[in-house]
Amino acid sequence: MAAPLIQFNAVSRLYAGQTAVDAVSLDIPAGQFVAVVGASGSGKTTLTKMVSRLVELSSGQVLVEGADVAGIDPVQLRRRIGYVFQGVGLFPHLTVGENIAITPRLLSQADGEIAARVTELLDLVGLPQTYATRLPDQLSGGERQRVGVARALAAKPKILLMDEPFGALDPITREALGRATRDLHDKLHLTTLMVTHDVQEALLLADRILVMAGGRLLADASPRELLKGHGDPAVAALIDTPARQARALSALMGAGA
Amino acid sequence: MSEQVDAAWALLPDYLSQHVLLSAAALGLGLVISLPLAVVAARSPLVRWPAVTFAGLIQTIPGLALLALFYPLLLALSGFTESALGFRLQALGFLPALLALTLYSMLPILRNAVAGLTGVDPAVREAADGVGMTRSQKLFRVEVPLAAPVIMAGVRTAAVWTIGAATLSTPVGQTSLGNYIFSGLQTENWVFVLFGCAASAGLALIVDGLLGLVERGVGQRKALPVIAGAALLLAGVAAAAAPGLLHVNRPAYVVGAKNFSEQYILADLIGSRLTAAGAQVARRDGLGSAVAFRALEAGELDVYVDYSGTLWTNVMGRKDTPPRDQLMAELTAWMAKEKQVTVLGSLGFENAYALAMDRKLAGSRGIVTIADLTAQAPSLTLGGDLEFLSRPEWAAIEKAYGLNFGKEKSFNPTFMYRALASGDADVISAFSSDGRIAAQELVVLSDPKGAAPSYDAVVLISPKRAGDRRLIEALRPMIGAISVEAMRKANYAVDRDTAKQSPAQAAADLAKATKLD
Repeated sequence: MAAPLIQFNAVSRLYAGQTAVDAVSLDIPAGQFVAVVGASGSGKTTLTKMVSRLVELSSGQVLVEGADVAGIDPVQLRRRIGYVFQGVGLFPHLTVGENIAITPRLLSQADGEIAARVTELLDLVGLPQTYATRLPDQLSGGERQRVGVARALAAKPKILLMDEPFGALDPITREALGRATRDLHDKLHLTTLMVTHDVQEALLLADRILVMAGGRLLADASPRELLKGHGDPAVAALIDTPARQARALSALMGAGA
Repeated sequence: MSEQVDAAWALLPDYLSQHVLLSAAALGLGLVISLPLAVVAARSPLVRWPAVTFAGLIQTIPGLALLALFYPLLLALSGFTESALGFRLQALGFLPALLALTLYSMLPILRNAVAGLTGVDPAVREAADGVGMTRSQKLFRVEVPLAAPVIMAGVRTAAVWTIGAATLSTPVGQTSLGNYIFSGLQTENWVFVLFGCAASAGLALIVDGLLGLVERGVGQRKALPVIAGAALLLAGVAAAAAPGLLHVNRPAYVVGAKNFSEQYILADLIGSRLTAAGAQVARRDGLGSAVAFRALEAGELDVYVDYSGTLWTNVMGRKDTPPRDQLMAELTAWMAKEKQVTVLGSLGFENAYALAMDRKLAGSRGIVTIADLTAQAPSLTLGGDLEFLSRPEWAAIEKAYGLNFGKEKSFNPTFMYRALASGDADVISAFSSDGRIAAQELVVLSDPKGAAPSYDAVVLISPKRAGDRRLIEALRPMIGAISVEAMRKANYAVDRDTAKQSPAQAAADLAKATKLD
């Protein structure tokens, strides 16, 4: 088996005496779509940001493609890793095209190459070419997040990190965008780490789910395995949520018939 | 009236161009200092608080005081640089005005830039990190563009403040549109005062409009208004700089004048004689007494007229009052030996500090000499000019006669005479060469104890011009040529309310009357 693309070796992070991430170790092989779920403050965002050094470690080690990220210039590291931000995080003073082109431009790629890449990415995320010259505030929330995904993929990264990317969207847009993102993951052979508080989204999109609470990793398994049940009652309750809601919904539909 | 407007227009190119250059330099320097400071302050609360507080504190200092403070500061620094580095700093004129105005311009730029930079959405800032921007890329590609509209608003405010405050640079010897206001105030030439206000306000409005154009362009991210506004501003500064650049190599004599009509007239007379001798002349007007002498000593002025008694007490620090001839002789010798300043000689009249009263009031109270005031002073109000009450001469008179006035008030010289007419003052510190003494039917109280020294008007020449034949030849005919009557007449022509003359016109008439033309 090939070496894992991302490795966490006993990583911890303390904020003002509080442990945000507590000695987590895990390997993520290339091509996997991993969802990290857990309540607010469980450490899932902190864990994800460690990969691109947006958060520095208090102790432990993160390896990307076998190299310790502590020894890589964070600027160079981040240009190799796609990041989709919580909320929107688009640059409001730049057009959609300029937002998408930002990382290739920082990497000093040729203008023609960048223009072609913008065209390609707008198609890829399902936005019309005319959007390239619009400003972010002329777009809907879903459209903005598609631009966010396009921007993250512009420099052809192997790794895509997403921090609650669809949190602010309506359910229909959210499902469509989730589906589209999974398709892109498969098509572009990405390795994806997605933070979400939506267990159903995680179960439906991911190959593997990490459940976190209080900075610790409570569970690490495929959706299918987790749905079969888990020894930790907190994990079991969390994973059971969508199923419980589905049962309640069918009861409601049955009662209505 | 129209003559005064014509005279004002004639001075506009010089005053306006100097005002523009000074304001532009101060604003430019203010930007160069404030913007990097704002970047550091926006990142570090440790820097932010002291920086913004300091800039705010500067703003609470009255503009005139701030400008005035730079004079002694630069004078002290100048002594240091001369001994340590071998060159002198210019303590009077452009440099102190530039430094004070630069400080003055900092607050709005700093405060707005800090607010603009710290106001950038943290999510956008994190996104900048996340896409792989370096610190400077984040600053220039994200933070500065997003903060630009707020920063530009601060720059506009700073520009308007600086242009307004630049009018206050006249008393530290920097020509500006304030020359209209200060000289107009001294000579009661309200046309000049209004002209100066209008010119300064007009300049501020135009600059504000052009910066507003730039600000709109920045806000809407359109290049055309930014380029147009910036180009017009630069063109204005270039037009102001052009004449100065053409004249930069021509040597000029700097003629100083303190802040009253007689000084303006005599400076004009000296200036026109030097011009007639083929020399270039620059002026430093509206200087305080002590400032003028120190500036001459430091070579920032080449020539000006001072008064023997003033130099005797204030510069030499003497408390005795010898006879007039002896005082002149001692003064001339001391100046040459101690200060390397040439006392070219007396113009021929005295402008003594004298106590004066309305003839009727003095008559009804039976006051003829200062000694008669001793008993009556507690029921009278003394009006002094702005410096009289703090001068050693007054202290000497006060002590010699045991004077204890009921009230003491300070006035600008023009208003001091008005105060006597309106009853706001009963006794004033008049000047013996003042035309208003005769015109307003005042009596000058005699000084039987000789408590005040004599005040011959003397021409002083700076150490560096001591051997300048052209200067000395041009001015020597003035020595002993001006009688107190001729001077009073010239002063009154400028100070009176109707058919006022400008100091230049009065100087021309004085030259004719004394055959100095």
